Amino acid sequence: MPQHPLDPVRLDRRRLLQWSACATGLLFSAGLQARAQSSNARIVIVGGGAAGMAMANRLSRRLDGARITLIEPREVHHYQPGWTLVASGVWRPEKTMRSNARFVPGGVDWVRQPAAGIDAPGRQVELSDGTRLDYDYLVVATGLQLNYHLIDGMSPELVGTHGIGSVYASIEGAARTRDTIDAWIAQGQGKGIFTAAPTPVKCAGAPLKMTFTTLSRLEASGRRNDFQVDFLAPGDALFSQPWVDDFVKQRFDEQGVTRRHHYRLSAIDPRAREAEFTFVGPDSEFTSHHELREAEFSREDGRTVVTDYDFIHVVPPMSAPDFIKTSDLVARDGPFRGEWLDVDIHTLQHNRYPDVFGIGDVIGAPINKTAASVKAQAPVVEANLMAQMQGQTLPARHNGYTSCPMITGIGKAMLVEFGYDDNFAFLPSFPFIDPKDESWVAWVMKDRMLQPAYYAVLEGQA
Amino acid sequence: MTFSGALTILMYALTPFLWPIAAGVVALVVVHLLARLRGYRMMAYRCPGASLAAMAAGVSALWWIPAFTHSRLAYVSSVFDWVAMIAAIIGMSLVVWLALHPFSYLLRGRRSRFL
Ligand SMILES: Cc1cc2nc3c(=O)[nH]c(=O)nc-3n(C[C@H](O)[C@H](O)[C@H](O)COP(=O)(O)OP(=O)(O)OC[C@H]3O[C@@H](n4cnc5c(N)ncnc54)[C@H](O)[C@@H]3O)c2cc1C
Repeated sequence: MPQHPLDPVRLDRRRLLQWSACATGLLFSAGLQARAQSSNARIVIVGGGAAGMAMANRLSRRLDGARITLIEPREVHHYQPGWTLVASGVWRPEKTMRSNARFVPGGVDWVRQPAAGIDAPGRQVELSDGTRLDYDYLVVATGLQLNYHLIDGMSPELVGTHGIGSVYASIEGAARTRDTIDAWIAQGQGKGIFTAAPTPVKCAGAPLKMTFTTLSRLEASGRRNDFQVDFLAPGDALFSQPWVDDFVKQRFDEQGVTRRHHYRLSAIDPRAREAEFTFVGPDSEFTSHHELREAEFSREDGRTVVTDYDFIHVVPPMSAPDFIKTSDLVARDGPFRGEWLDVDIHTLQHNRYPDVFGIGDVIGAPINKTAASVKAQAPVVEANLMAQMQGQTLPARHNGYTSCPMITGIGKAMLVEFGYDDNFAFLPSFPFIDPKDESWVAWVMKDRMLQPAYYAVLEGQA
Repeated sequence: MTFSGALTILMYALTPFLWPIAAGVVALVVVHLLARLRGYRMMAYRCPGASLAAMAAGVSALWWIPAFTHSRLAYVSSVFDWVAMIAAIIGMSLVVWLALHPFSYLLRGRRSRFL
């Protein structure tokens, strides 16, 4: 495949698009920024989850005449941040599902099949039926891929059987995780193992939240002392924000959770209810930067420990989807090489293909795989894509904002908001809510307000 | 956030409770209308019972508001938690008072007609 991103034939067409967009742009003053800009560009958005749907709504409002195509195979939209509450027995699964049709804006061509490949130099997206879609501008919003297969013996179908839970697997997986935890608690005793992944993961707080909500339930059973709870993490840190990391560690210690660092889950024997952990060495720091290549997962020489369990919460390694990894859009060097989309983490523009932007879980960024990040990224991608179309310098920067309502028990949470600029400093949205306080209001936000806010993001309204 | 963004969030947040809210508002308006037609004036009419009941309803919110949000009173801990909770209690008491005050007037009126 030719590697040069600038195909001269298409450059002409792009220049033309840029000039016409530029001329239209000049007609509007800065105060009228929200008005539609006319363009006949072909924009393809791959993935219609939180990020892709938000972009479809924003761009369809801002662009008049552009041909916008949204490639999304799913009919149902999943509110994934609700899965933790489903797996903790607080929400019913139905609460997290809505029809995608209600969010797709009029005028956007919705292609209901998966993309199978991206030819970045040729500016084409290949669909699973072999059709090819040409684009002038591409927004990659595919989310990420769960690599359960990198844990020997593990597959998502096992979730809900043999004491295995995994909140990430799917909404069905979250409900089955709840049932598995119920069954473990009903047993009246036993050992539970909670794990973390050696790669960046979506909502890095979710494995911690699952531990905290399960602890709440064990305490409520009145037999907490009959249960052993272990947390095994591949790195030193449990969470990327340093203050929260210390807090969680201290809280785990107080609540009788045995922490073991530098171990990753490498294999599982469901029938024997045994898990194998590989020692990954004290120098490894996998939780914020992805240094572990796929080949390393199958390395034979690692020191391992095998332990039994009554319940295990599996967090799979994650990466960009395979068809992104095999495209020229994947990072070639740096911490995200071979695994994640290669974008500038501030402008969200592709580092080698300027007409490609990335948003959401798929991008190579040190933290940031949350719906809250999508909320912050969407206006940045919108502004920068519009500027790119007009041949202007990119005006907007993403500061890495992410947010995790860190549930520290069923009924209480901390509204943790921070970014990757300024050494993960807190970026509180509400001056009256201290991110270091466990509070009922933060929980109410998680329980009642964040889902409405998420749907407003999908509609491009927030 | 834009005004329409805030409205969208509010719309999504209130949709599950739209019917109970609408029914409550209608009931409140009907009670007030009926009472006014029979001479009720909010400031002139005194009913300590309605005020006490409203206060009791407000205090009961200490238990059921946390329960309604899948939480418990013990977790209402930060300063802002208490500000929000007290605001909810005051709001609750006010709504109950607004309903019971004219309602008690209607009941009394009927009783005095029977006497
Ligand atoms: C258990 C859990 C808890 C979470 N908790 C929180 C939280 O508390 N707060 C928070 O902010 N975030 C949370 N998140 C993270 C949040 O849900 C994601 O970060 C967010 O959904 C990312 O949006 P996205 O569009 O990048 O990916 P997604 O929302 O996953 O969407 C990706 C879309 O791409 C589509 N797609 C995939 N492959 C293809 C293909 N080949 N062709 C076309 N389309 C494709 C998929 O069908 C999907 O619709 C949580 C996630 C999970 C799983």
